[in-house]
Amino acid sequence: MEKRRFRKKELEQYNGKDGASAFISYKGKIYDVSSSFLWQNGNHQALHDAGVDLTHCLGQAPHNEELLERFPVVGTLHRRVN
Amino acid sequence: MAKVTREMVEKSGVNVDQLVELLVKNAAAELTTYYYYTILRVNLIGLEGEGLKEIAETARIEDRNHFEALFPRIYELGGKLPGNMKDFHDISACPPASLPKDPTDIKAMLTVLVNAERCAVRGYTHICNLTAGKDHRTYDLALSILNEEIEHESWFSEFLGEGPSGHFLRRGETSPFVSKFLK
Repeated sequence: MEKRRFRKKELEQYNGKDGASAFISYKGKIYDVSSSFLWQNGNHQALHDAGVDLTHCLGQAPHNEELLERFPVVGTLHRRVN
Repeated sequence: MAKVTREMVEKSGVNVDQLVELLVKNAAAELTTYYYYTILRVNLIGLEGEGLKEIAETARIEDRNHFEALFPRIYELGGKLPGNMKDFHDISACPPASLPKDPTDIKAMLTVLVNAERCAVRGYTHICNLTAGKDHRTYDLALSILNEEIEHESWFSEFLGEGPSGHFLRRGETSPFVSKFLK
């Protein structure tokens, strides 16, 4: 099945707040982390919010990308080409 | 609140509100883990379970000690614990260390225990990274807790057959690293 392509603005709607799903982007893939205890209300460890691209944050995180692989990929992040 | 304490931490470039929230979440993880480990420990029975009971008890008591050591720092920095215990449980930095469906499955019990410790090791490593060279007291506290969480992880990891822990059981006293914060 073809994955949905999200624009940045669309991704922002999936911020995990007020019943919305919690999606995050990492290296172009969009992961649905709604089921994670550690992403309740779209926030992770007081530092990160859902609905955004976190590619550049993982380097400082105390875990690697393996942990992301537990979550379903629901699409890809559309990159604007000028 | 210790006003100058907070001011010094703010001046060092640490986002104090964010740090306090992290400390509260980790304090919640410690107290809830203490609770869940109580259930795990009483279910560690039989020939295999008895062999784990002692270290599960040590980890349980030390996690409670971590909560006791953490909460004063939260208040020093101007934070507070939630008024509602249920809210406190739900904001934990780590998922509940729930009893496996089959408590006689020792591997499942050990997996719950080691995953809880690994979550804690990640959490305190992160707090150390955020505070190193900036908030000396929180760093010292987080590092002391981290030292104990690493030992807990290594004990349970050894029982899972992942290799030697390099450590021996505590002999008598608990919290060799954190006890200085409990006096």
